[in-house]
Order: sequence, then C-alpha cells, then structure tokens
Amino acid sequence: MASALTSRRKNADQPPVVLYDKVVKRFGALTVLNGVSAQVNKGEVVCLIGPSGSGKSTLLRCTNALEIADGGRVVFEGQPLPKTEAELRHVRRRMGMVFQNFELFPHMTALENVACGPITILGTDPAEARAKAQALLEKVGLGAKAGNHPSALSGGQQQRVAIARALAMDPDVMLFDEPTSALDPETIGEVLNVMKRLAEEGMTMVVVTHEMSFARRVANWVLVFDEGRVIEEGSPVQIFDAPTHARTQSFLSHLGWNG
Amino acid sequence: MTLDWNVVWQYRADLAHGVLLTIALTVATMAIAVPGGIVVMLMRQSHVRAVSWAGTVFVEFFRNVPLILLVYWAFYVLPILADVQFSAFATGLVAMCLNVSAYNAETFRAGVNSIRKGQLEAAMAMGMSRSQAMRKVILPQATRRILPVLASTWVSLFKDTSLVSVIAVGELAHTALQIRSQTFRVLEMLTAMAAIYWALGYPQAKLVDWIHRKYGVTE
Repeated sequence: MASALTSRRKNADQPPVVLYDKVVKRFGALTVLNGVSAQVNKGEVVCLIGPSGSGKSTLLRCTNALEIADGGRVVFEGQPLPKTEAELRHVRRRMGMVFQNFELFPHMTALENVACGPITILGTDPAEARAKAQALLEKVGLGAKAGNHPSALSGGQQQRVAIARALAMDPDVMLFDEPTSALDPETIGEVLNVMKRLAEEGMTMVVVTHEMSFARRVANWVLVFDEGRVIEEGSPVQIFDAPTHARTQSFLSHLGWNG
Repeated sequence: MTLDWNVVWQYRADLAHGVLLTIALTVATMAIAVPGGIVVMLMRQSHVRAVSWAGTVFVEFFRNVPLILLVYWAFYVLPILADVQFSAFATGLVAMCLNVSAYNAETFRAGVNSIRKGQLEAAMAMGMSRSQAMRKVILPQATRRILPVLASTWVSLFKDTSLVSVIAVGELAHTALQIRSQTFRVLEMLTAMAAIYWALGYPQAKLVDWIHRKYGVTE
C-alpha cells in the first residue's frame, strides 16, 4: 500500500528533501503533534491542510527548528536537524520561510529587506546583493517598489517582498506558513500567482494553507491534519474528490467545498 | 514692597555659571546613563540567574528611592564605602546616574520587548545569529520606539538636577538660592530662577514633541 502511494509521487526515486519521522511536539500539557511522519520530495509542492490548531503550522515551524520537536526526528537532506544554535543557523540558511504576518523589517526599504540576508549572513558584496535583490523584486513584480518601506506597500505587495527576501538566500526548500491568511481577498491572487510560478520553476515547497483551490491546482501532495496527526494523505485529486477519512470529508464540506 | 530686578543682572555671571553646570550635569548624566541603562537591561535579560537578579535589584531599588535621598546618600555614604572624597559635582553625578540608569534600563527593556516575536523569528529563519538579529533587526526598531521616552527622561533630568543643590553643587538652583540668601531679594531670585529654567526647558520640551511626531511608530 505504502509503496503504491509513494510510487505516484514526484521524484520518489530520489532521497526526500525533508523527512518527518514520528515528530512529537508538546506545549505544556497539550500535545500539538502526536507522532507525525511524512516526507517532502525534491521539487514537490506539499500542502498541509486541516482545521486550526491541528498542528500544521507547528510541523512547519519544526522544519527549521523555530520550534524544537520533543520527540521523533526532522531530517533535512539526509541529516537530522542539529542541536546547537550555531549549527542550526547553517541549516536555516538553506530553508526560506514566509510568515502569515509577512514580518518584513519595517525600518528597511523593500530592497534592503531582500538584500540584508545575503549581506549580513553570507557576507555578500553589498552592490552585488542589491543587484540580485532588485532582480528578485522584478521577479515578484515589484521592481518599481524597491525604494518603498513596508508601511507604504499593500499586504499582497509586502508578502511578495517577503517571498523575494526568502529567495535571496537561494534556499533548497521554501516554507510557507498561511501566506495569504492575513491578506485582503483582492491581493490573495497576486501572492498565489507568485507561489504558483515558483512551483513551476521546480522549487520544493511546503505550504500550510486554507486556500483549497491553490492546494488543488498547485500541490503535488496533500497532507490532512487533525488533532496533531496526519489523518490522510494523497494527491490533490484523491484528497479533494475522493477523501476516505470521515474527518477529511467533514472538514472539506465545512469549507463549502463542493468538488 | 519694592522689587529690585537689578539684582538679577548684577549676578548674571554667577547665574550663567550655574546654567553651565546644570547643562554639564545633565549631559554627563545622560552620557553615562544611556550605556549604563543598556548594560543593566542586558543584565536583567541574562540567562545567568545571579546576573539577572542583580540587574533587577538595581532597577527596583534605584527607581523607587527618592532622588533627593540618593543625593544625600551619595554625599554621606559613598565617601565611606569607596574611601574616596568626591567633589560635590561628582557626588551629584553618581546619584543622578544611579537613578537615570535604572529608568533607562526599563525604557530599553520595554523597547526591545515591544518588538514582535515574529521579527526575531524572521531574522533567525533567514539564518541570522541572535546577536546579528539584535543589531540589524531588533535594536534599530527599539531605538526608534524609545527615542521619545528618552527625550522625556532628558527633560525631567534637566529639572531634577536642581536637587543636587542640597549638597552645594554650584548649579543654577544652588547659585540662585545663594544669591537670594546674600541679597534677601527672595521674590526676584526665585522668579528669575523659574524664568531661566523655563526658558531653557521649554525649547527642550518642544524638541521632544517634535521627536514624538517624527519617530512615533508607524507600522
């Protein structure tokens, strides 16, 4: 059964980029992740869906050790996440993260936001970093806004700058934590389009989202969370058209999803 | 009752000297109490319990003792403790610094804590170390936020320097009160003193208002 499932996945013949092995996370008495095992293959877009509080964001935050798992392992490119802060920094450089609330640095312009990672962390020559930052802003359609501070940008524009900022470090995987949940409906599309283009370029992406149409159209693989577990996983067609788990069915029906 | 305003003009050199000492005391106190406040704030946030405890005790003690008591304490106790005879100016400076450092420590702490946790996480997720995140992301934002508070502290400090007159530091208040007791022109000297403090303090207060407007947080 397992082999039948994985054989349908993209790049299943190559080692996974991220492997979650029975990951457990507790906040006090509350068990948020109760033994989650999953994998993300190279070039895949894996969407994490499920009700709020089901553990999707926590798993994403365990990927780059913003939360430290209490049990199990997170393996990135064949290596379990290191324990020390100094080693973790090197791993985090290779993962880009996009937050629900953008978290752009408000005292820097859009260009400075994108260039500051390479300059500060990698010691890239500032002129070179700025040129690359400008190119990345063009890529997300914001070349003309390079000199604006975040407060002078719309939510959708801020989130696109945040994506460019993450890309500036040339990550091997991009982690998206509900990237459109804080956006006006009007600007959600522009962010999803940038993400879709990124997926088409072959970027490996892990996306926590409530945008079911995005998950359906762009994801290669969907994980359904409930109460700290993955209750169902499969291709978007399988999850959205023929969910087998009763909880998945009720979750999707409550979203007003009619297939 | 006849008023003799001439006395103010007559003693203008002494008053000017007092103004200079008041300004010097304010500047010197702030110059020491800003880095002092940062050090005490970092102590309070230390993971070493004894260090954070010492920082907390410092803040809670010197913030909650009347400044005039600190001035007297520095005058009578410090020479015994340190076994050195300080000048009156240095004694007053020590008392002011202890008090203002405690206030500044709390100001800096509030400033750093007011920056959303997500900002630190965003910096860490990029691969920054904690100290890089502090320098590039947290402190630049925190400084902007607390600048108006520091400016208000400055204006209070400027007026509070008058308290060191009780240990005969020859700043503006002490000088004016001395002239008063020599000439018995009580009303004239107190009025002149008020006018000078106001004339010096008002522009500073306006400057603070301007800083509030310019650097007030917009996000």
